[in-house]
Amino acid sequence: MKPFTLLTPATVEEAVAMFGQHKETARYMAGGTDVIVKVKEGWMGPDYLINLKQIPGLDELHKNENTGELTIGSLVTHAMLEQSLLIRNEYPIIYDAVSNIGSLQVRNMGTIGGNLINAVPSADGAIPLIALDGTALLAGPAGERSVPVKDLFVKPYETVLTPGEILRKITIPAQAKRTGSAYIKFGRRAAMELPLIGIGVLLVVDEDLVTCTRARICLGVAGPTPRRAQKAEDLLEGKPVTATLLTEAGTLAAEESQVRDSVRGQAWHRKEMIRVQVRRMGIKCLDIINQKAQQTGRQV
Amino acid sequence: MSGYNIVGQRVPKLDAAQKAMGRAEYIQDVKLPGMLYGKILYSKYAHAKITAMDISRALALPGVHAVLTGKDIPPKMRMGFYKDNPPLKADKVCCFRDEVAAVAAVSEQVAKKAVSLIEVEYEVLPAVFDPEAAMEKDATLVHEAHKTNVLKLPWKLHYGDVEAAEKDSAFVVEDRFTTTWVTHCCLSTSGAVALFDASDNLTVYSNTQIPSLAQKDFLETLGAMGLKGKRVRVIKPVIGGGFGSKLDTYAYEHIAILLAHKCRKPVKILFDRKEEFEATSTRQPTVIYIRQGCDKEGHLTFRDIRMVLDNGGRTSWGATTPSVMMMPITSLYRVPNVRYNAKCVYTNNTYSQAMRGYGNPQATFAIESCMDMLAQKAGIDPVAFRRINQNEPGDETPQGFKITSCGLAQCIDAVEKELTQGSPLEDGEGIGYASLIHVGGGARIYKSDGCGAILKMDDYGRVDIFTGGTDMGQGLDNMIAQIVAEELGLLAEDINVVHSDTDVCPWDVGAHASRSTFVAGNAALGAARRAKQTLLAFGAKLFEVAPEDLVMENRTVSVKNDPEKTMPVDKLLRKAHFSPGGTMLMADYFYDPPNENMGKDFRCNLSVTYSFGVHGVRVHVDKETGKVLVKNYVAAHDVGRAINPMLLEGQVYGGVIMGLGYALSEEVMIKDGQIKNPNFRDYKLFTAKDAVPIMAPVIETHDPDGPFGAKGIGEPGCVPTAPAVANAIYNAVGVRIKDLPITPEKVLAAIQEQSKGS
Repeated sequence: MKPFTLLTPATVEEAVAMFGQHKETARYMAGGTDVIVKVKEGWMGPDYLINLKQIPGLDELHKNENTGELTIGSLVTHAMLEQSLLIRNEYPIIYDAVSNIGSLQVRNMGTIGGNLINAVPSADGAIPLIALDGTALLAGPAGERSVPVKDLFVKPYETVLTPGEILRKITIPAQAKRTGSAYIKFGRRAAMELPLIGIGVLLVVDEDLVTCTRARICLGVAGPTPRRAQKAEDLLEGKPVTATLLTEAGTLAAEESQVRDSVRGQAWHRKEMIRVQVRRMGIKCLDIINQKAQQTGRQV
Repeated sequence: MSGYNIVGQRVPKLDAAQKAMGRAEYIQDVKLPGMLYGKILYSKYAHAKITAMDISRALALPGVHAVLTGKDIPPKMRMGFYKDNPPLKADKVCCFRDEVAAVAAVSEQVAKKAVSLIEVEYEVLPAVFDPEAAMEKDATLVHEAHKTNVLKLPWKLHYGDVEAAEKDSAFVVEDRFTTTWVTHCCLSTSGAVALFDASDNLTVYSNTQIPSLAQKDFLETLGAMGLKGKRVRVIKPVIGGGFGSKLDTYAYEHIAILLAHKCRKPVKILFDRKEEFEATSTRQPTVIYIRQGCDKEGHLTFRDIRMVLDNGGRTSWGATTPSVMMMPITSLYRVPNVRYNAKCVYTNNTYSQAMRGYGNPQATFAIESCMDMLAQKAGIDPVAFRRINQNEPGDETPQGFKITSCGLAQCIDAVEKELTQGSPLEDGEGIGYASLIHVGGGARIYKSDGCGAILKMDDYGRVDIFTGGTDMGQGLDNMIAQIVAEELGLLAEDINVVHSDTDVCPWDVGAHASRSTFVAGNAALGAARRAKQTLLAFGAKLFEVAPEDLVMENRTVSVKNDPEKTMPVDKLLRKAHFSPGGTMLMADYFYDPPNENMGKDFRCNLSVTYSFGVHGVRVHVDKETGKVLVKNYVAAHDVGRAINPMLLEGQVYGGVIMGLGYALSEEVMIKDGQIKNPNFRDYKLFTAKDAVPIMAPVIETHDPDGPFGAKGIGEPGCVPTAPAVANAIYNAVGVRIKDLPITPEKVLAAIQEQSKGS
């Protein structure tokens, strides 16, 4: 392993300044579950690692009760999300995604921000944030800017972040009433697994509990970056959601995907899984919506 | 209940605390003063001529002490039983794994850097990767001097008359099965430290399963180096997983020796995980053609198997797995007519070694899958079909195996009872069974199948026992401690088991063939009996009774039926020690079971006893994804007697999980000779979260020759797993997967194919 100097800034501004000083010889590090592996394997060899972990406030996780906006600081770990009742109850798609990342040890260390910025096609954490129309707030030498999470990724291991920029937090707008969401990581193993395919579905339905008013179908490992299957979403919106329609949407999503053969899985099977799992996740969304509706009904 | 105090107890593994607290010293922890670090450069191609090599830049790097190439290897130095493998290759490489140069330097980092500075020029040769293609007439030769890619090995037998039996059969099935490369995944990677003393005597620290045979290999290496008559001491640190991977000596060990001699300093070579995947040996992959028949009543009439084994570019023990495959082929169930022909074929792939089961899992996958197919054709329930054909005590199989204790029938009963108890099968669920036979009392694959034990007792009633056997995590230390404690009326904690140093431990052929409890256990028992005899003779004099009137129990020696006459063992020992012309208690024993070497036609009684088992599994198959979920697993084993039920269960659980990986997910993916998944991310070893509920009924048949009736259990746990799973999948959704591992892709493809057909 190439030796490096560990720098520990106390603020985002200090971190950005440190980067400004060392330029491309420096790398930011959050949980380190990807960066340290890459350094050890010799895939990157920075002279300086700027450890963001000690910066206070970057691990905020709260929902604004007035606006309904959810804020997830970039240093929030997968374990924090997994253990949050707010996430589990109101954002099941996030819970589904983060609770199956790596192992308990990895989830204790790894952060949602690191998961996004690592920018692999299989990033479990990215799918729900795209489905929830999340926005990333970036801070850098030129100040702050916002980018929709869906537009963060350029290609594998590359984001739109410019040199020195840091992901501060992700915000998620208030969810519509009658929203259901679910994610499945389809893999071979129950832990320490990258998905063969990752499928997130979010549905919002009308008061009739059937007609889809908004659909998000997001796929991991279905192309160079995590992405939405927009044709499939369009098919669902405005129509009553049935198993048959979901299968059609799944088929469309499979068709517009760019799955590949790799050591992990074959393209035809990945397509099949998109087809099947879009339907299954869609039905799970409807179940969640119906369950909530029943609960609300009882309360009234 | 058993009448024993220590045997049968769930005594925790003796080194459990050491391991749990990180105090156990593995090869990773061995660090000697002045030690250098060795690193190996491997081939860049699957098949190529080495046309030039320039080591000058590596040698010039500060901190580098030596660089070796194939030209530095003494001409007679060849590894493996087929002697086709020099530790470094001078002229050509036959697989990516071939070692071409090695470096010793002051640190691992410098060594790594130096290796990267070695320049090798190759002339790439056409390569062959498919063993069946490699058998063809004009196939590229992997070793030109060998003239053919087919190894000259005698794996061929025919007992009875298969053709006549086929004519008389009411039902016959045939099919082709394939199994692929899987690897041991020992948590502690491979490594060795070699050092010479001032007189050129060699010490090697290595995590080997065969200290005595490794010593012999290293003596041969010294011989080739011109150091005849020198001594070799093998020290075995704590082994972090063996599973057969350490049954041979490897290039890295011999290279460490050569480097240490050249540098006159200790040299350590330690693999990283990638190297562990790429440069250690796998389970032997096979292509199996099987025909099996039965009569109207379901009695097996014949079994005919032809097999092609991908030998890879070099030869290690993988090429001898057909000899062990003969065991299930000739002797799993009563089958009067058997034919078997196996060919090991050179390719430019990686090469194989021993791995838990030693060929048995591959052969059993084909046999037991085919048993279900034949049962279906004959219209007989698969469990009933197995009962019709089950082995029984007193049988002699066509190969000449004399079956003594045999609990196969009880195993079938136990598994069926457990599996049929639960809720009724749901849609997509199915149940499958498979049985196994394995050697239970060692196997004579070498001139001796023996093991020595030396025992001494101190003034405090404690025992040190020096065994030739190897504990590699499987629990041999406990077996020996509990056997000795039982015999001497002591507690397990009174027994210190030493098994790590050829300078003090007697000879043993190695920790293989599930033999250690049986053979090393019997050796320890023999030594304990001799010690007991001496002790009782002394006690008899003291109490003025006959030795037969004494009992040893609870750390005391007492006269039977006379509670007054009793003495703690330690006191008795001191009396013996400090009396005029004193005696210190020491005893030794060498046990070599009456196992027979395979004869010319392979007929023999390979083992004095055989182990049996039956696995049954309930699975759920997701018909839309092809994913197989194991709902319940029952693994019943006839173990003779459970010396330690807890460790026994551990062996079975571990075996089943390893077997499930083999069945469902594990595969070293090799494309054009190159390993594509040399890491735990893409090599799908089961994780703790993938573990399934396993029930392990223990069938005790009290073997007449085993120590306290025990038989071997090391390997059996992973033998019938894959066919049990394949049979369950067929039972669930009607598709038969004949190619391991049974991935969701394969299952879904088969289901889709099936629905197209209907």
